[in-house]
Amino acid sequence: MSYVQINHLSKKFGQQTVLQQLDLTLEKGQLITLLGPSGCGKSTLLRIISGLSAPDSGTIRIDGKDITTTRPKDREIGMVFQSYALFPNLTVAENISFGLEMKKMPMAQIRRSVQETIELVGLQGKEKAFPHELSGGQQQRVALARSLVTRPKVLLLDEPLSALDAQIRKTLQKQLRSIQRELSMTTVLVTHDQEEAMAVSDRICIMDAGRIVQQGTPHEIYTRPRCEFVARFIGSYNVLTAEELLRLAPEFSCSSAKLYAIRPETLRDQEMEDGIAVTGTVDNVTMLGNITRYEISAVGVRLFADYLHHSWEPQDIGRKKTIYLDPKDVIPLDDASA
Amino acid sequence: MRRMNPSHISFVLVLTYLFLPVAATLIYSLATEWNKTVLPEGLTLKWFAELFRDFPFLQALGRSFLLSGLTTVAALIVMVPAIFVIVVYAPRLERWVQTLVMMTYAVPGVIMAVGLLRTYSGTGIPMILVTAGAYVVGLLPFIYQGTRNSLRTIHAASLMEAAELLGASRGRAFVKIIVPNIMPGILVAGLLSFSILFGEFVLVNMLVGGRFETLQIYLYAKLSKSGHIASAITVTYFLFMAIISGLAVKFSRGNKATRKEAAS
Repeated sequence: MSYVQINHLSKKFGQQTVLQQLDLTLEKGQLITLLGPSGCGKSTLLRIISGLSAPDSGTIRIDGKDITTTRPKDREIGMVFQSYALFPNLTVAENISFGLEMKKMPMAQIRRSVQETIELVGLQGKEKAFPHELSGGQQQRVALARSLVTRPKVLLLDEPLSALDAQIRKTLQKQLRSIQRELSMTTVLVTHDQEEAMAVSDRICIMDAGRIVQQGTPHEIYTRPRCEFVARFIGSYNVLTAEELLRLAPEFSCSSAKLYAIRPETLRDQEMEDGIAVTGTVDNVTMLGNITRYEISAVGVRLFADYLHHSWEPQDIGRKKTIYLDPKDVIPLDDASA
Repeated sequence: MRRMNPSHISFVLVLTYLFLPVAATLIYSLATEWNKTVLPEGLTLKWFAELFRDFPFLQALGRSFLLSGLTTVAALIVMVPAIFVIVVYAPRLERWVQTLVMMTYAVPGVIMAVGLLRTYSGTGIPMILVTAGAYVVGLLPFIYQGTRNSLRTIHAASLMEAAELLGASRGRAFVKIIVPNIMPGILVAGLLSFSILFGEFVLVNMLVGGRFETLQIYLYAKLSKSGHIASAITVTYFLFMAIISGLAVKFSRGNKATRKEAAS
């Protein structure tokens, strides 16, 4: 039996259905990410797990115990909020010790646990600082330490890095993952940043309109999207109809699928064995750091092709370009809406 | 020399308009005689000495303190938790509270006094208690605005959720986290309420009158007896209000600092 089991969870706000008969399981010590666009229900799911919102139907079990109607304070769940929700009147050490004081732990033990946790998140020397005296990254680490110190059964992270700049976010992603592994903390992360999800997760659940549309390891999700929504959300996939694909590559043998996805980096600019040559006009070239993205129009179909950045500046706009498509890289999508 | 522009002149005129009566009252409270001359004939502190030697004045001052202070404290104890519950857990009820707030402005003091007299006279309830009850209701707008703004500034709902998830009961989270963070706002609302009640005359005069002589009733009685004493009372009252206003400004600055902290 899984450590966390969520069965048939539904939630409506007025007439709007936010979660639809959602099922999710999570193993002990795993970090799972709920990834989806704004309004897909991921934060609502997190609030229901924490007990801050009640579901209309369904059950939540943690470690074999049904906690669906348990009060938040008795669930043994830690949560880091998007806004951190640090207590402005308390110092860093007091913020972190708050949960232990509520559990009425002996003072000596509280001091020891607080010190250990401060060292774990690297906030030594900031014990007596107030939240407004800290940077965004430090505040985030206090919020994390405050949730970890009580050793919750499940840690919930509601877009904890979204307010930080890119550099700090990347550093904290690594730190977050390393702490989670060190403590073997069962964790649910909510984010709409696919790169973040890929970087830190054991498993990713892609959510859309209150449902989990696909779940798997980051590799599975990226290389084998099942539907158009995932293909478009998880990367800059080229999503083509069967008719468009046959126009581009008449020799390709289509399956029964109506939609197909092709990753931009699989379209090569050098000839390859079994590769189908597609010639088109370069409409635009965009620099994306280490990648150069070509927008190519061929037989009325627009394709994106990514190549590693070269030392010279590309001068291809308006020119003809031939790219090669490996049929093995064409992924059929089983999309009901297609 | 820099020439004064029209905005400076209008500023000076407004200040003169505002402070001339206060200055005249202050000078009159310090004047030995000021009847037939442009300036006072001499200066003295005897009216203040006489005032502070007058036991009924000290009693009236004490009563005003007691009535305003206790009523303000009672209003804060009742209203702050109620406003907290509405703002955090039942925000839909806020429009009804706002209607109630408007109603307290809509009823003139005289009409309220007559209504209270008709309703409560002969019921056995002491009219001073009725007055205090009416004061508590009358303070709703000031306490509501101050408390609600403070709660929104600190994102009280998020703080409560965080505290509850860390194992605190709602009551404990309110006392340990919410109250300390909105304290500057509560103090400002309290000081404002106190100063408003301290200067209130209509209700207390009509409902209890001479049976519970407050500073305002004492002042009213003295107006016809001695202009110098009445001026000394006014100056004392003005100084007292200035101290309270100064404290309110100090605490509201503390509140602004809290807002900055919450925003950072």
